[in-house]
Amino acid sequence: MRIKLTSIMVDDQDKALKFYTEVLGFQKKHEIPVGEYRWITVVSPEGPDDLELSLEPNANPAGKTFQQALFAQRIPATAFEVTDIAQEYARLKERGVVFTAEPAAMGAVTIAVFSDTCGNLIQLYQPI
Amino acid sequence: MLVGPDTFRRLCRARELLAEETEQPLTIREVARRSRISPFHFIRQFEALFGLTPHQFRIQARLDRAKRLLATGGHSVTEVCMEVGMSSLGSFSNLFARRVGATPSAYQEQARAATEEPGVLPKQLFPGCLTLMGGLPASAFRNFREASAAAAPVECGSVRQGAAYANQTHEHHG
Repeated sequence: MRIKLTSIMVDDQDKALKFYTEVLGFQKKHEIPVGEYRWITVVSPEGPDDLELSLEPNANPAGKTFQQALFAQRIPATAFEVTDIAQEYARLKERGVVFTAEPAAMGAVTIAVFSDTCGNLIQLYQPI
Repeated sequence: MLVGPDTFRRLCRARELLAEETEQPLTIREVARRSRISPFHFIRQFEALFGLTPHQFRIQARLDRAKRLLATGGHSVTEVCMEVGMSSLGSFSNLFARRVGATPSAYQEQARAATEEPGVLPKQLFPGCLTLMGGLPASAFRNFREASAAAAPVECGSVRQGAAYANQTHEHHG
């Protein structure tokens, strides 16, 4: 058993693909039509090239309710590790990304939280 | 942009107001007023946080509701149009077709055909987490190196891009 794929629900796959590639800097691996939606995955140019993040269409009403509740409670849907959080914070802010928490030390990590514009808060963390 | 807890809470509340299913929906200006943010800043901050303007968000919420109503049956297209707060059937149908890729009646037909249990949304149109995986070709499960080594027919450019990236990565590490 291996962890090779994870996913995040997004409210619009086109918008998500644009944000996750053009703003965050991930690279598209797959974009395959499946019915009304597409199977879209991205990988990190800095990470293992076969560890994929699927940009899941948030079509199911139950998923939407869950996603909106998490967001409203300021709970991140997932977290990405960075090597220099101050630099990432500055880079993403420069690109118009909205942060709900600026970098702050929290125990063994420094974390910051931003909106992915697709219905999720994402936590960045840099281990100390 | 850094959004503080108060503004964040107001914008989330505004999103709820915009999605409310009422006969007389609030104007964007009124939602901004209730959020205690000037209309200009409200639209700008809302779009930065949610990736859609308040107006676009409301349209999307109406279309999502229309899809649900059409898929669960029991409503005509005209009824759905009225139910989601749109007065012109022509405008509704055009908008729906443009965004969803099928006219409301075609979508309803598709949903009826896919419905396995009355009243339950068909999985094909309302996929749950990762259920799309079942409709993928074998190439979707190859990693970059395998995909680049295989001369298999490729369905879309993205797989080729992936293969190119694998080569770059391989060279980089090699």
